[in-house]
Amino acid sequence: MSDLALAPLAAAAPAKRRWRVMRAVAAKEWLELFRDRRLVWLCAFVVALMLAALAFGYVENARILSEREAAARADRELWVGQSAKNPHAAAHFGQYAFKPLSPLALADPGVDAYVGSAVWLEAHKQNETQFKQARDGGVGARLGSLSLAFILQTIAPLIVILMGFASFSGERESGTLKQLLSVGARPRDILAGKALALIGAIFALLAPAFIGAALALLFFVDRERLSLADQFIRLGALGAAYAAYLAGFAFLALGVSALARNSRAALVTLLAFWLANSFLAPRLATDAARAFAPTPTWQEFRAGIAQDKAKTFGHDESHPGFVAFRNETLKKYGVTRIEDLPVNFRGLALRKDDESGYAIFDRHFGALQSAFDRQDALRAAPGFLFPLLALRPISMAFAGVDSRSQFDFATSAEAHRRDIQNEVSDNIIHFAHDNTYVAGPELWRKIAAFAYRAPGADFALGYSLLPVAALLGWLALAGAFALFAARRLRPV
Amino acid sequence: MLEARNLTKIYEGAQAPALDRLNLIVPAGEVFCLLGPNGAGKTTTVNLFLNFIEPTAGQALVCGIDAAVDPSAARALLAYIPEQVMLYGALTGLENLQYFTEISGAEAPRDTLLSLLAAAGLPEDAVRRPVRFYSKGMRQKVGVAIALARRAQALVLDEPTSGLDPLAANEFAALIERLRKDGMAVLMVTHDLFLAKQCGTKIGIMAQGRLASVFGADDVDHLGLERAYLDLFARAA
Repeated sequence: MSDLALAPLAAAAPAKRRWRVMRAVAAKEWLELFRDRRLVWLCAFVVALMLAALAFGYVENARILSEREAAARADRELWVGQSAKNPHAAAHFGQYAFKPLSPLALADPGVDAYVGSAVWLEAHKQNETQFKQARDGGVGARLGSLSLAFILQTIAPLIVILMGFASFSGERESGTLKQLLSVGARPRDILAGKALALIGAIFALLAPAFIGAALALLFFVDRERLSLADQFIRLGALGAAYAAYLAGFAFLALGVSALARNSRAALVTLLAFWLANSFLAPRLATDAARAFAPTPTWQEFRAGIAQDKAKTFGHDESHPGFVAFRNETLKKYGVTRIEDLPVNFRGLALRKDDESGYAIFDRHFGALQSAFDRQDALRAAPGFLFPLLALRPISMAFAGVDSRSQFDFATSAEAHRRDIQNEVSDNIIHFAHDNTYVAGPELWRKIAAFAYRAPGADFALGYSLLPVAALLGWLALAGAFALFAARRLRPV
Repeated sequence: MLEARNLTKIYEGAQAPALDRLNLIVPAGEVFCLLGPNGAGKTTTVNLFLNFIEPTAGQALVCGIDAAVDPSAARALLAYIPEQVMLYGALTGLENLQYFTEISGAEAPRDTLLSLLAAAGLPEDAVRRPVRFYSKGMRQKVGVAIALARRAQALVLDEPTSGLDPLAANEFAALIERLRKDGMAVLMVTHDLFLAKQCGTKIGIMAQGRLASVFGADDVDHLGLERAYLDLFARAA
């Protein structure tokens, strides 16, 4: 034997071979990536951008939180500082319920800026949230802010595409694919190795942002009001969702690169998909959702409520409903005159009218939210093809800044309004002897300040099953496509 | 051992076959050189043994494994050195060798790999330089080291000395001879009649997709080989 056959080379055990090939491919890809300074700088720039967005989000959220807390304190002072007056007049005086900011809004601001931050609580009427930042923010606010969510949803897939588009096509063009396949490496093992490298790069991109977000939570979360553990569970869910989203892009880039004639064709194809996913699909899906599950205009919505409310008696003592209730009450107490009742009839009538209104508000607001839910479902359903449609609702849900979270807050504010109504009506029922009755600050103080407790992460998961399934479908579909492409891999 | 059985390839849209019922056997310890003009079917033969393309008919067998049926298993036994050994420019010669060795499933300590590069004739100072600074001859030597590290049983070469200076070509021929002595079955495609005579144990001349004639290397001298080649060329024209 000549000196060319040197040390004996042990063949790898079949079970270990695939893993070794994958690991070798991934290590080589990382080495090349690291030595290609352009990509390293690009990734560093994106990481810096994400950390900057996170920092801006933190500062902005701290400002909003402090403003809302100050506004809530001032509003409470106004409420308890009311002079002596009839309790029902105090109910009409009203108060605000401010929505506490979700800590993870620093990563994904969601719909908060568009749906308002406070509800005006007043007698007889359930109001929508108001004070929309987007309305006050001018053109700049309407263009959207540079949030961590925007970077991860829109810019990060572009980075994955830039890292992956030449994975196979570039090797084919340079001739190394021929060399690679000639040594007996199986295409699917090469694919797995390249996917491992790309997914590793994705984790390297995500890690600084999510570590930063975790640190921000430690400082930001009001632990008396919120569970830190719940916020970390939410952050973990966000990390998993973004990782699945970007891993799907990695598989897609690898599959397209394996099938494309050359790197330019692969890049053009992937950029076209990125544009469709980032800009075209969300708009088309929104329009389609509006067409198939229309919601009423504000005027229509309010007109519908007003129409139903007209059937209740309000303050109209000649309303047939009022007369019937008066007769029923007199009969119930066995008296013939209101003056002979042991309780204040006006208080009873107010409570009766309020209760009639609650059912009407529940029906109309419930129907509106159901329409929004149908729209959300229609938008998320094609998420297995255009994953941003699936990711965006998951991201907003776990960040606590979606329409369902808003609805939960509005429902809680409405429950508080009803507590106020019941309290003042009860006070009138039991203490008012005539229409000159007034209550003092002790009653205003007795009515607790509004304190909203946001539901836990399980609440978000409960209504996010469709987008979660769509996102998993996207990952599975992209993975299957990459495997299919690897099977058809040709070096020439 | 390499074997072609009625191996045929007709490219899509082509009128005539690029390879027409090729039959040849290259046993262990033999260097079969395929000569022929451009378009004779030489590179198609190589690509079929590597299953880079599918045969229209027939079989390309590597140690009895049909390359079209189980390409990975066939390739695992086969080393390939093309006209231009394509390596990763950002990686050093040693890193390229290590990578291709690991990818093929073989295990080789770093010292062994260094020895293989030295045995293939790569200068020591080049081992840790990025391959993008290598000459063509140096790349070919890394290609040989890859074949050695994988302990392949057969070797397919496609114009391996094209563009090499005479000294480098001579060194390469010496390497092939040593591999043959180690028992490797070698199929070499070349335009170089002198290289074929120098390295080959058998020499075949291809024309229009067919193996037109086969000589034992000892049965023909340089001049006779050149005459046979030119006669065939003239007839084909």
